[in-house]
Amino acid sequence: MPIVGSARPGPVPSVVGMITMRDLTKRFGERTAVDGLTLDIASGKVTGFLGPNGAGKSTTMRMVLGLDRPSAGTALVNGRPFAELRHPLREVGALLDAKAVHPGRSIRAHLLAAARSNGLPGRRVDEVLALVGLEAVARRRAGTLSLGMGQRLGIAGALLGDPAVLMFDEPVNGLDPDGVLWMRRLMRSLAAEGRTVFVSSHLMSEMQLTADRLVVIGRGRLLADAPMAEVVASGTRVRVRSPRARELAAFLTSAGLDVMVGPDGELTVSDASAERVGTLAHEAGIPLFELTVRQRSLEEAYMELTSESVEFGVAEPRVEARA
Amino acid sequence: MSGGGDMNEGRGMSGGMGKGGGMRNAFAAEWTKLWSLRSTWWALAISMGLMTVMAFTVGRSVVDNNTNAQSGDDQGIVSVSGTAISSVDLVQFVPVALAILMVTGEYASGMIRPTFTWVPSRGRVLAAKALVVTSVVIPLGVLLGVVGTVAAGFALGDWGRFSWTDATSDILAFALYLGLVCVFALGVATLLRSTAGTLTTAFLGLMALPMLLMGPAASRPLAENLPSSAGRTFMGIAEDAPYRGSIGLAVLVAWTVASLLFGRFILVRRDA
Ligand SMILES: Nc1ncnc2c1ncn2[C@@H]1O[C@H](COP(=O)(O)OP(=O)(O)OP(=O)(O)O)[C@@H](O)[C@H]1O
Ligand SMILES: [Mg+2]
Repeated sequence: MPIVGSARPGPVPSVVGMITMRDLTKRFGERTAVDGLTLDIASGKVTGFLGPNGAGKSTTMRMVLGLDRPSAGTALVNGRPFAELRHPLREVGALLDAKAVHPGRSIRAHLLAAARSNGLPGRRVDEVLALVGLEAVARRRAGTLSLGMGQRLGIAGALLGDPAVLMFDEPVNGLDPDGVLWMRRLMRSLAAEGRTVFVSSHLMSEMQLTADRLVVIGRGRLLADAPMAEVVASGTRVRVRSPRARELAAFLTSAGLDVMVGPDGELTVSDASAERVGTLAHEAGIPLFELTVRQRSLEEAYMELTSESVEFGVAEPRVEARA
Repeated sequence: MSGGGDMNEGRGMSGGMGKGGGMRNAFAAEWTKLWSLRSTWWALAISMGLMTVMAFTVGRSVVDNNTNAQSGDDQGIVSVSGTAISSVDLVQFVPVALAILMVTGEYASGMIRPTFTWVPSRGRVLAAKALVVTSVVIPLGVLLGVVGTVAAGFALGDWGRFSWTDATSDILAFALYLGLVCVFALGVATLLRSTAGTLTTAFLGLMALPMLLMGPAASRPLAENLPSSAGRTFMGIAEDAPYRGSIGLAVLVAWTVASLLFGRFILVRRDA
């Protein structure tokens, strides 16, 4: 059974979902929140959207949804501006800010109003409530929900129209470990069904497990747009220990590799495969005691990419030592 | 409770439907939102209670004026329905607050963003809200008029004069005024976005300002053409009407249309 109870006849969306941004720019007064983003978010993949606080992720998503008017450039969904979609919920599902619901309305009534706004059948509401595990609290007022339950309500709203394009702004925020796992599976299965999933998050380990592709922005500018494997692999390092480390370092360097010598004579070779380093050592006739490949985690790759553009960086925490 | 939106549209028809379908769906969503809030039901109950109390009180004071020792304040036999609808000055603020909250409540909670992602055409959202307001407030106005007329009749006793034609036209004019003034307030709410700000503005604009400006001769023409004064003239309850009732209606409609158009102008331009 597919994870998303489908109101569509076939399991695969008939329209290929797509988000297209061309030179998308948003200025708030003097401040440029989004600076000339050109992106194609493709279908059948989970695209992770990363960047430091204030990088412009939420603003970008708001522009895609027509909530903020771009200062320049365009954002299209399925080739059209969001405002021109006849039944937007059937084409794009979005979770931006889960708290943005009227606290006095029952969650069922909230979803029912959403369904009616797009001519969706009322039973779809019960389907999505069951899907996110909120049937038991359907009559509760939205203001009484916990953080995670509110997040689930937002996800239910995004899935309501069975859309081919989904946008989630920090969806696992506040979810319990079960919920995080559930969300990861949901996004994977949505992408497997051929949908477009565009998701922002600050949880790197979670992103590494979920996303196929990464878009990284900093201060509104594009820093990276590449497959996950590429982003992570580009920083592969090989650690080498050898009794003739200095000699080996010189040889590897002359072969054009980037070598760092550690304090205890251990070498770190960046952007090279173990095969290459091992073969070179063999050619030079230098024995190796250790040859390990260390893949960069997404977190490390991300830190490197964004180190220049963290706006709200904090000082290293200092703890006053007490005697 | 359910508002006629077409629930049975097939999928994949997104492109081929006329504008009417979109408006119908937007209306159904606004209707569902309005009736799923307790505050709506409270507002209806409070407006009924307030109307009863006000109409009865105004009726009693007519009786007292007629029967006390002074003869200067005697009003004689008065129209029952006219007495009832003259409590509009206070009663109007309950449905006006309801209309205002339909917009400012959404800005306060952030709900305005889901609203605009459900229906991206902001003009359509505003039109749907205005339609929901009128289709709730006009029938409510009729009900309030009837309830108020009964209460005023009780209070006035023999000092009241009742005729079906007077009552019908008074109550319909009252209902129409309430509908228009609520849509007017809706437009102002779209401009100001804040509940407190809009309520204050509505109170000043509908009650304090006309009273204040009615004093000096220079500002009198302005006072006479404010929405609530035009409404009083239209309903035939103005002290000394400066123009005919139909002109009062035209002035009120002009205010309402202007407020709605200006609200829409701003709404489509500002970020949500
Ligand atoms: N309505 C607004 N008015 C003025 N500035 C704004 C507005 N909305 C966002 N900004 C600014 O635009 C920049 C981008 O904000 P945005 O919320 O898009 O960042 P983000 O990447 O989503 O950050 P976070 O990870 O903290 O959610 C920030 O500097 C923010 O202060
Ligand atoms: Mg954000």
